[in-house]
Amino acid sequence: MNTLLRAELLKLRTVRSPWLLLLAAALFTTAGAIGPVVSGDDSSDPATWSRSAAHAGLAALFSLVLGILAVAGEHRHRTVTDTYLTTPRRGRVITAKLVVQTAAGLVVGVVAAATAFGVVALTVAVDGGSFDAADGGLWRTLAGSVVWNAAFAAIGVGVGALVRNLAGAIAAALAWIAVVEGVVAQLTGDSAARWLPLAAGQALARMDDSGLPQLGAGVLLAGYAALIGVIAVSTTLGRDVS
Amino acid sequence: MPDIEVRGLTRLYGSHRVVDEVGFTAPTGLVTGFLGPNGAGKTTTLRMVLGLVKPTAGTALVGGRPYQELPHPRRVVGAMLEATGFHPGRSGRDHLRILATAGGVDRKRVDEVLGMVELADDAGRRVGGYSLGMRQRLGLAAALLGDPRVLILDEPANGLDPAGMAWLRGLLRSLAAEGRCVLVSSHVLSEMAQTADHFVIISRGRTRYDGTLAGLGDPCVSVRTPDPAALRDALVAAGHEVSAGGADGLEVRGTSPGEIGRVAAGAGIALSGLTEAGTSLEEAFLRLTEDRVPVPALP
Repeated sequence: MNTLLRAELLKLRTVRSPWLLLLAAALFTTAGAIGPVVSGDDSSDPATWSRSAAHAGLAALFSLVLGILAVAGEHRHRTVTDTYLTTPRRGRVITAKLVVQTAAGLVVGVVAAATAFGVVALTVAVDGGSFDAADGGLWRTLAGSVVWNAAFAAIGVGVGALVRNLAGAIAAALAWIAVVEGVVAQLTGDSAARWLPLAAGQALARMDDSGLPQLGAGVLLAGYAALIGVIAVSTTLGRDVS
Repeated sequence: MPDIEVRGLTRLYGSHRVVDEVGFTAPTGLVTGFLGPNGAGKTTTLRMVLGLVKPTAGTALVGGRPYQELPHPRRVVGAMLEATGFHPGRSGRDHLRILATAGGVDRKRVDEVLGMVELADDAGRRVGGYSLGMRQRLGLAAALLGDPRVLILDEPANGLDPAGMAWLRGLLRSLAAEGRCVLVSSHVLSEMAQTADHFVIISRGRTRYDGTLAGLGDPCVSVRTPDPAALRDALVAAGHEVSAGGADGLEVRGTSPGEIGRVAAGAGIALSGLTEAGTSLEEAFLRLTEDRVPVPALP
């Protein structure tokens, strides 16, 4: 397993796309975290700090794509043939991808969280206010954002393994986020919709007062990641690779 | 013991038998040519041998075991399939480093195989900038990475220029001479006739032949001379089967160019050309695969 993890890490390091996604996540977080202050919120209010910092959590969209690329990207470039020739036990390959991509999602989350923290501190300083670097709410949002990124990277691996077609997998994931959860919320009300993955992520980053409690949202999202991971491993075993 | 042993291998897609009870062996120390028309089921067969496609029925053993049960498959079997790809943004060396890491192969081998396929100078470049021939050679390098005793290569000559083909032929011959089992699929018969020792021919998903070139029929020698009538008489007198081969030529079955030269010299007849006119591989191939149905037109 150790060799598989090292191989997956090497795959990640030897192409540009993960680095570009990391950069995009940092830029997105920077722009997003400045947003509330630009739109007139009080830069000295700790609630504003959390609202700004939650954009580190929204960077999970990039982590999701990262996870999808790890599997569907191999089908896209047909490197998957060599991967399975080297390791015919495909369940181990998908498991290794889940581990490495979750770690990569953690890295994206930490970079985004650090970016958000820096932006918040800077905006407060520019406005001449006083910043409490130990603010509990801010740190809970940042921690939740990191977990959200890790979970979405793992979910991305599952989506990529199930859909396999790269464009289709990314389209399906983005459609879920942009459309499906909103439609479900309209049909069933927030009480049901808050159990869905994006809503759970938002609750993790404490973006929404009507969402689940933060810890519960974290457990739920980890459960989603585990479930789709198990489905991904079991469906990958029997499918033809051509 | 043969290194590749396929028995009753069958694969259905819907009700269509793409591979229908294919069976053959690929012996150690020989180049086995795996031949068949396009769509005969060659690639599907190879993918089943390599555990990528699940057979509906039958078994395929590599080194005495199903591929999936090999503990370190890269060290036993090196495979290059047509569908093998590369990430265009990754360098050739990094591609091989990843396979070496996952396959439990010493990293030193990466530069060794890059040298063997003459890609050492380009190994640091992104594969996206490689020519088709360079990609084929990188695929071969990947197959050779684990120093495997079995090689399974699907259409390795695709995209190679004539010099590359000659190089590939030499490489395959030397790999077999080292005692490895080399199974090569191809639809280029002339290339295979020069390279392979053992032939497996499939058509419409079925095995049509599994044996040596000699078993396919007698080899045929083309000879040209200013005096074909005299040479014909001399050859027939020496007990050979002779047929006309163009204006001033003859075709002789079941003999060698050396023997024809001796007969001609003995009869005092000058020769203006003497070639082993390929073997009868193409003829045998067409005979064995002639019952194939035409490819249906697309709707």
